[in-house]
Amino acid sequence: MSEEPLLKVENLKTQFFTEDGTVRAVDGISFEVYEGELVGLVGESGAGKSVAALSVMRLIDSPGVIVDGEVTFKGKTLVGYEETTGEPGEPPELVEREEMLTEEEMRTQIRGREIAIIFQDPMESLNPVFTVGSQLREFIELNRDLSGTEARAEAVQMLREVGIPEPEKRYEQYPHQFSGGMRQRVLIAMALACEPSLIIADEPTTALDVTVEGQILDLVEELQRKYDTAFVWVTHDMGVVAEICDRVNVMYLGEVIEQANVEELFYDTKHPYTEALLASMPRPDRTTGELNPIRGVMPEAINPPSGCRFHSRCPDAREVCRRVHPDLRAIENGDHDGDENGRVHRAACVKHDAFDVGYPESEPLENEATGGFEVGLTQEGSR
Amino acid sequence: MSGTDEPLLRVEGLTKHFSNDEGLFGGFKRNPDGMVPPVVHEPELVRAVEDVSFDIRKGETLGLVGESGCGKSTLARNILQLIKPTDGTVYFKGEDITAMGGESLRKKRREMQLIFQDPQSSLDPRMKVGQIVEEPMEAHGMLDDEGREVRAKELLAKVGLDPQHYNRYPHAFSGGQRQRVNLARALSVNPDFIVCDEPVSALDVSIQAQVLNTMKELQEEFDLTYLFIAHDLSVIRHISDRVAVMYLGQLVELADKEELYENPQHPYTRALLDSIPVPDPRSSGVRGVLEGDVPSPIDPPSGCRFRTRCPELIAPEEYDLSATEWEETRAFMRAIDRRTVETNDPEELRRRFFGQVPSGEAGTVVETALDHLEREEWEEAADLLVAEFAEKSICAREVPAYEITPEYGSDTHYAACHLHRDEGIRLDPKTGERADGVRTADSGTEASESASAVSDD
Repeated sequence: MSEEPLLKVENLKTQFFTEDGTVRAVDGISFEVYEGELVGLVGESGAGKSVAALSVMRLIDSPGVIVDGEVTFKGKTLVGYEETTGEPGEPPELVEREEMLTEEEMRTQIRGREIAIIFQDPMESLNPVFTVGSQLREFIELNRDLSGTEARAEAVQMLREVGIPEPEKRYEQYPHQFSGGMRQRVLIAMALACEPSLIIADEPTTALDVTVEGQILDLVEELQRKYDTAFVWVTHDMGVVAEICDRVNVMYLGEVIEQANVEELFYDTKHPYTEALLASMPRPDRTTGELNPIRGVMPEAINPPSGCRFHSRCPDAREVCRRVHPDLRAIENGDHDGDENGRVHRAACVKHDAFDVGYPESEPLENEATGGFEVGLTQEGSR
Repeated sequence: MSGTDEPLLRVEGLTKHFSNDEGLFGGFKRNPDGMVPPVVHEPELVRAVEDVSFDIRKGETLGLVGESGCGKSTLARNILQLIKPTDGTVYFKGEDITAMGGESLRKKRREMQLIFQDPQSSLDPRMKVGQIVEEPMEAHGMLDDEGREVRAKELLAKVGLDPQHYNRYPHAFSGGQRQRVNLARALSVNPDFIVCDEPVSALDVSIQAQVLNTMKELQEEFDLTYLFIAHDLSVIRHISDRVAVMYLGQLVELADKEELYENPQHPYTRALLDSIPVPDPRSSGVRGVLEGDVPSPIDPPSGCRFRTRCPELIAPEEYDLSATEWEETRAFMRAIDRRTVETNDPEELRRRFFGQVPSGEAGTVVETALDHLEREEWEEAADLLVAEFAEKSICAREVPAYEITPEYGSDTHYAACHLHRDEGIRLDPKTGERADGVRTADSGTEASESASAVSDD
């Protein structure tokens, strides 16, 4: 069962060149999205999940630059770089590959049509001075070559589809007349309007109240079944992940550190960071005693720790973790290789046998997690 | 840590209405009827908080949870007298602080502190953390310069910061650390009571856990009482002893934490608990259980404010409807009212909503509404259905307030829902008192014992 992935991201690197130095926001991540699949991209703020999502669409603005990696979607190269053999003595340079789509092609073929995006704040994504209907109609007109009246009918139909009552009346209203949940429904309608094969959703329910969030999650699942759209769902909320995702990528400081289907991620966690993240959450369904927070703060991406980036806060850290930078590797599961689709559980932690770098013999490491609780200052503070 | 029975703070019938009557054009509205000038002056009242009553005992944490716009923060500011309530009384240590003003209130403030959600904007970027922590002490004339510095450093250490950072500016700290500075500042004047308004909502989950743990430790060490406001039910469950749920300006339920989460008695609480995404892929989630939007607090529904969305709206007594018939009628009424159906064909509607259209009076109403719909008179149909079914329900006619027997623990369980009109004890919705004048919100074990006695007669 090894069908081609719909979206394949390999070794993607996005950096921001700031006055303070180079921020390696996304530092060599790889993941796949298969058709009709809901893939989570989860992590705390600063993990690089939003930048990763935007990089796939090539929506990174200066000072951010996609510096390396490959993103392929349905056989098209959205991002692709190759090394040139430069002048002798000069280091090889990375240049865009020929088959990489131009900006024009991205706009006319990919964005909106094949890959749509939904942002966190629906108010910012809608123009307050135009009616909701006209914005939706314009989008459909531009992307689907329909006449004005056809596009209008289609827009009303889409509003109805996403559960907006009285769509004809609502079509004429302005964004401020919609509640937060209704606005997010409009954006979902817009994303679906061209029946894209992939929708990237960047924290679409974070700003919503929990009962409204529930309504939106229900709607997404229903529409996903109907249109068989694949999703990349960016979130920090493990609860949302557990509810809707099929597979999950956990990010920490610009890297994917664990990749698994949702069941295995929660019940057979392989990376200490994922474990710590789950342990630090208060639960709605049972009374928790003392919470086990992750000690310390996330280091800055300008100057990430050597070796494993989590070693400074990891309760399982050993000396070797400071030296060896683990890549994302398939972790053997004993009883089975991968899930029913042959997709394997990967983790970037040297404590697993897949990494033979001498973890068992290594000395345990004194750090914020194992030693006392010291609150370190952030980067700016210590300068 | 569940506190003693002595209430530190008692809130009685607290009400806050905001008027849009202020400002140059405040309260003016366009008049559609071609009057000259084409405006009318009709100030509107936003009923942000209405008749809220509860107690907070010394040493406990009362969690206050609700969705955005439900009035939680307004309630908090009213309790602290940062805005004057329209009506109602707040007793702090037995003293009525709503009647206080000026200097006596200012002195009282030393005992009540507030922590805000946004750790960024609640700290002055031009002040060093040392000064920030010392400022309240200075305002209340505590200690001398040296003493304040010593205390500030002590407090920084207590909240988990390095006392060496006394001379740093807020920007040098991360979000979680800034919230710790806020904690230190609140603690500086040695308060008894701290209102925490969404103190961890802006923090990442791992940092959130650190701050929550620190808050719990500090509570034990300094014998603090918290009113902890949040929209996150998981955080509330973790930190609280008792939990109050708010909807559209009113308390709908208040009970011991375990009781509220394991035995919720108000349909809104149940809906809220059902909608939280549980971080466990094996838990079977019921989601999106609530339909419709929160009504405007300018013109809130009569009786129970949740009734317009309540999945368990009670059938009017006038009609003799079976449970299924009422369920079908209710679904039909809501669909027409919210216009969630497209068709207006009576046959189609009958098929979609009813197994069998109810007979008798209720059936006549449904048929009349269907006739309206056939003539495309949506509004008339909706108005008729709402007037005949929703408005005649007990939920629309009376404000609910009941005390019910808890299953977990011995604390009283307050639920503002008419579903409990048979077994619960009716309370005065304004004051939360029983007819015999006994206050229930704080009377502990005795109350629940006598509760069963009263409900027998």
